[in-house]
Amino acid sequence: MWSLLKRYYRPLFVGFLLLFPLVSFLLGGSKGRGTYFVDRAIIAVTSPVQQGLTSAIEGTVAAAQNYLDLRGVRQENDALRLENLQLRAAVHALGESRMENARLRKLLNYAEAEPGPEIPARVVGVNPVAKLLSVRISSGEQQGVFRGMSVVTPDGIVGQVIRATGGYADVALVTDPQSRVAVRVQRSRARGTAAGTGGGPLRLENMLRTEDVEDGDLIITAGTDGIYPPGVVVGRVTNLEKKEHGMFQGADIVPAVDTSKLEEVLVVGSPYSAMAPGSTAEGASK
Amino acid sequence: MKFLVSVALALALLTLESVVVKQAGLELGRIDVTVVLVAFLALRATLLEGAFSAFCVGYLLDLMSGQPTWLFTFLAVFVFLVGRLVPTFVEVRGALAFALFAMAADVGHSLLASFFTWLTVKEDGPGSLLAEMPLQVALTGLAALALFPLLRRFEASQERPAGLLR
Repeated sequence: MWSLLKRYYRPLFVGFLLLFPLVSFLLGGSKGRGTYFVDRAIIAVTSPVQQGLTSAIEGTVAAAQNYLDLRGVRQENDALRLENLQLRAAVHALGESRMENARLRKLLNYAEAEPGPEIPARVVGVNPVAKLLSVRISSGEQQGVFRGMSVVTPDGIVGQVIRATGGYADVALVTDPQSRVAVRVQRSRARGTAAGTGGGPLRLENMLRTEDVEDGDLIITAGTDGIYPPGVVVGRVTNLEKKEHGMFQGADIVPAVDTSKLEEVLVVGSPYSAMAPGSTAEGASK
Repeated sequence: MKFLVSVALALALLTLESVVVKQAGLELGRIDVTVVLVAFLALRATLLEGAFSAFCVGYLLDLMSGQPTWLFTFLAVFVFLVGRLVPTFVEVRGALAFALFAMAADVGHSLLASFFTWLTVKEDGPGSLLAEMPLQVALTGLAALALFPLLRRFEASQERPAGLLR
């Protein structure tokens, strides 16, 4: 036995190197593997380099841009001052509505879910595999970011944390082909699913043919997938396909956030799932 | 030594690529830098050293993909083993031949990656995943041309002059 091993150790070792990853992929490839110690070590080494390079490039670009932006800044200032006045008036009106809303909720004993924490982060890198759309952000377990938390910008939804290590986390974008988000039409409250297609628009699925949806409708998260909080903007409906037969209608959703040009994001805790190390997130991705 | 150089180079190139793609926007086609390294290993490394290096390089790509599934680790070793067969049929000498060899390896790598991704995602056909392949293969060929002198220099630095006592 020993002599056989000694004689064939080369093909056996190479066979192991080939078959181990293949079998591991076939047995659990769709779910992905966990984060090992060596993974954490590699991420701890590469992520600061990514962040440093990103900061250096952005700093150089910003310096050049600042100089160019100085031109015409006075006219822009006047326009912004005017806009600021209008916005302050709008904020005041909204504040009144909010207080009234709170009073009415209190009267009705309405139990509101506690919003989770909002953790700001910078995008420091993009994964180098074109088939999987994810980005790396500069907040991780140390800042309270864990797998399964959702990532948004003030404009709308970005994606979901799929791996968090010390000070960094990887975020699968909503445009990733494996991404699924429970959504709702804001106007009619009709429910469906937004599926990633690997870039460009999302696909509106599982929307019953009888539901009221039109081109241009705003799509927001439904909050029923246990991942994304309700009411976050996903995008707008376009290319609506209302078929004569079949149960469902289809459409494209133009994402509200251009995920190809992300700079800063907010990681928000889902009000439904426990945000603890090792918690899994099966809801939004297959 | 080839192992250390390959892994260090893969780590540096993948980190650099992730930043460049982030700055240029996701629409930018990716460069399969790891395939270039695996192609070089297939031509110049011994079976054991090359297979283990390819395994590690694939593992790094898997890790950097954000959603590691072992797929790219398997593909790197597979491409290395198939690539080792090529020099028995065709002579690969010089930067241009190496670039063509790397491009062919990238075609195989991309086809298999698309097939296996389609197996797990099962949405649309694998065709939609292949749309970016021509640009990706062309960029990988250019990267191979650019990296060839560097890889040759690393290799030359490890070669010991014949006839000296060791």
